[in-house]
Amino acid sequence: MNCETCQLKELVVEPPEIREVLRCILHTILFHRALGLVRPKDVECELFDITYVQCEDHELEKKIDEKINQFIGWVEKHPNRKSQVCISFYEVKNKHATWFGNKIERFYWEQWYINLHIISPKPHGKSHNTKAHVVTGENAFEESNSRCAALESSLREVLFQIIKFVNEKKDHIPPLQNSEIVSYPYEISTPR
Amino acid sequence: MASPSESDRKIITRFLHKTLHAVVASRVPRLHHAAAAGPASPKNDRWFHLALDDHPSPADHHGAVVDPLVFDILLTRRGCSDVIVERWTARCVPPVPWSAASPHHPHDGSFLRRTYKKCTILLRSIYTLLRLLPVHRIFRLLCSSSQPYNYDLCHKVLSFAAPFSRAQEAELKQYSFAPVETMLGHLVVSVQYRPSLTNFNLEVSLPTPPLIITDYVGSPAADPMRPFPSSLPDRMSHPIVYQYPPRGIRTLAAPSFDRPHSWNSASMVHHHLSSAPGPPDSELLPGHYGHLVPNQRSSMERKGSSGFGEFKLSPPCSTSPSPSPPTRVGNSQLSRLHSETSPVSIPLPATENNQMHRSPNFSDPFKSLFPPPSPRSTRTDLSFRESPSKSISFRKPDGFSLGDIHSNLHMHAAYKVIKDGRDDSGRFSALSSGGSPGYGFSSSSRQSIQDDLDDEDFSYPFAFDDVDTSDSQTRSLDGKEASENSGSHKSQEAAVGILVHMLKTAAPLRQDQSCSMQSLEPNGEASISSSVMSRKACDALEELQSYKEMKNLLLSKSGAKLQDSVKQRKESSEALS
Repeated sequence: MNCETCQLKELVVEPPEIREVLRCILHTILFHRALGLVRPKDVECELFDITYVQCEDHELEKKIDEKINQFIGWVEKHPNRKSQVCISFYEVKNKHATWFGNKIERFYWEQWYINLHIISPKPHGKSHNTKAHVVTGENAFEESNSRCAALESSLREVLFQIIKFVNEKKDHIPPLQNSEIVSYPYEISTPR
Repeated sequence: MASPSESDRKIITRFLHKTLHAVVASRVPRLHHAAAAGPASPKNDRWFHLALDDHPSPADHHGAVVDPLVFDILLTRRGCSDVIVERWTARCVPPVPWSAASPHHPHDGSFLRRTYKKCTILLRSIYTLLRLLPVHRIFRLLCSSSQPYNYDLCHKVLSFAAPFSRAQEAELKQYSFAPVETMLGHLVVSVQYRPSLTNFNLEVSLPTPPLIITDYVGSPAADPMRPFPSSLPDRMSHPIVYQYPPRGIRTLAAPSFDRPHSWNSASMVHHHLSSAPGPPDSELLPGHYGHLVPNQRSSMERKGSSGFGEFKLSPPCSTSPSPSPPTRVGNSQLSRLHSETSPVSIPLPATENNQMHRSPNFSDPFKSLFPPPSPRSTRTDLSFRESPSKSISFRKPDGFSLGDIHSNLHMHAAYKVIKDGRDDSGRFSALSSGGSPGYGFSSSSRQSIQDDLDDEDFSYPFAFDDVDTSDSQTRSLDGKEASENSGSHKSQEAAVGILVHMLKTAAPLRQDQSCSMQSLEPNGEASISSSVMSRKACDALEELQSYKEMKNLLLSKSGAKLQDSVKQRKESSEALS
């Protein structure tokens, strides 16, 4: 069984946008991999004009938020860096009982790499001239708007990429072994 | 137990139904509202582990499994033709029977499970894509907002749809999902959609276009000087304002005092002229009314008027310089005008020979402006006398009109002059020397004024602080006047006036006070009050002499008593010895 890996398109985000972007991507991925009985819930992004779908599972939401907080904490310590958040699906096999204990093996059958380029917001240029300061502020506002629109477009592309991947790659998915919402064990990895 | 092909058929059928259900639920607001309003069904469609809300069944795929299922999402706009914004196509493409690439699928349950799993994933992808397409934004607006829009979304389910033209296809984008292999073929789902909807004028529709009221009259808080619109009847737009004497017609472009009231003369002018248009209340002049009073209404003039018997109550006139808010004149106002009193004539400058103005003159437009004259004003008229009963029966207006105030002021001034004249000699001399307050009056008029003062309607005398005069001369003068008055006035009002006058001019109490003081003080020294100081010196000397006599008398009496007591003691002592 091979492990399918999907490298998502890199997104240039500012620290305040990290949470929204990661929520959108992680929930979309997990919605496609939660093959148990799911009541979908539409969620509209606050920063972008995008609606994504969540599984109505509080445990799942809580776990995702914890990982996002962990990543944001790391970003605060390491600003202006490229980083990745990885979500991996595995199955547990071959519990080998040994003298020293049970050995649990994980076989990852799918990994998703969310590539983020964290940038700090640009401060307004200091100028003693009031007119120049006003012009600088207007330019910064326009730049911010254009950057936000580009991020929204990129995020939409990422979601399309997810849909395409999950539909093209189905054979590697292991068979359902339980009736839980999230049918397959997973883990979300953040930089340390 | 069903054969694998039957299971496959069922999976495919259910998949198509579920796909249609998911698309319609995400595109048709009508069905979305119906599902939200309806009761929650305990049995949700759990096929493919995707629990969706119950919707009215849009359509069932009644054809063969291999028959395509096409559902168009239409954007309907008011006054425009429907436009297909999305076309979903789901079908099971059978394999080519003669193709060598047709796979050989084992007839076990694993394939079915995989097929079912893949359909589950595909359905989730369809569900996610439905929210990423541009039409979903319109769906959200239509579902969330209660405002009416000029567009709507509807759907159409077809088993066969005519292909788009080249021009239409150029405007559309297509996305096809990866097919799911089944035993009966490949499940293929694709969508053709418009990437942008900015070409369509989608906006909130208003039920009625805004209308501008051009003839809005406005509230009382509005500008009172705004002219009435021309939509009102002509008689309203051309009010008639009367001056004295009444002349002409004035337009609405008037100064601030051009606002009439219904009780003003202008309204009364046209009251009995039923054919004539009544002016609106706001067109007459309160200021004009004020202008009339000093010229026309004086105490002399009022005497000639006797229309009070026929006079009906009229609302008080406002003396405020600010205009009242405009009032719309309608039938109610006109009816009120007609129901008000008939005009009463205003007496002209009174002369004894002018008797015409003493009778009610209904043609006089200004009669209603003033309250009816008091009965006293008619007494001096030798030719016209009101009976006491009739004079009492007249009704005073509810309010206190300006004319009434002015006439009372005249009375007040006249009375004060007389009172001042009746006071000490100093003041009286001032009067006699011609220091009149400016109200020239002859002896005959003075008498008439006195008559008026004695009238019960005149309340001002009670407000004065009478300077008490114990002067015998003043009392004698008052007594003479009282006798003269009592002889000439036989009405009850005159009698009361006489009584009031007598009370005012009654002798003070200090003489009694002085006697009591004398009895209390055996020394006989009576204190002199401040009022004594005002008397004349001769009076004071006379009184002093009388005190001396009293003193001597008392002393003599006391001395006699002492002598008697001394004698008695001597006698008693002698008797004892």
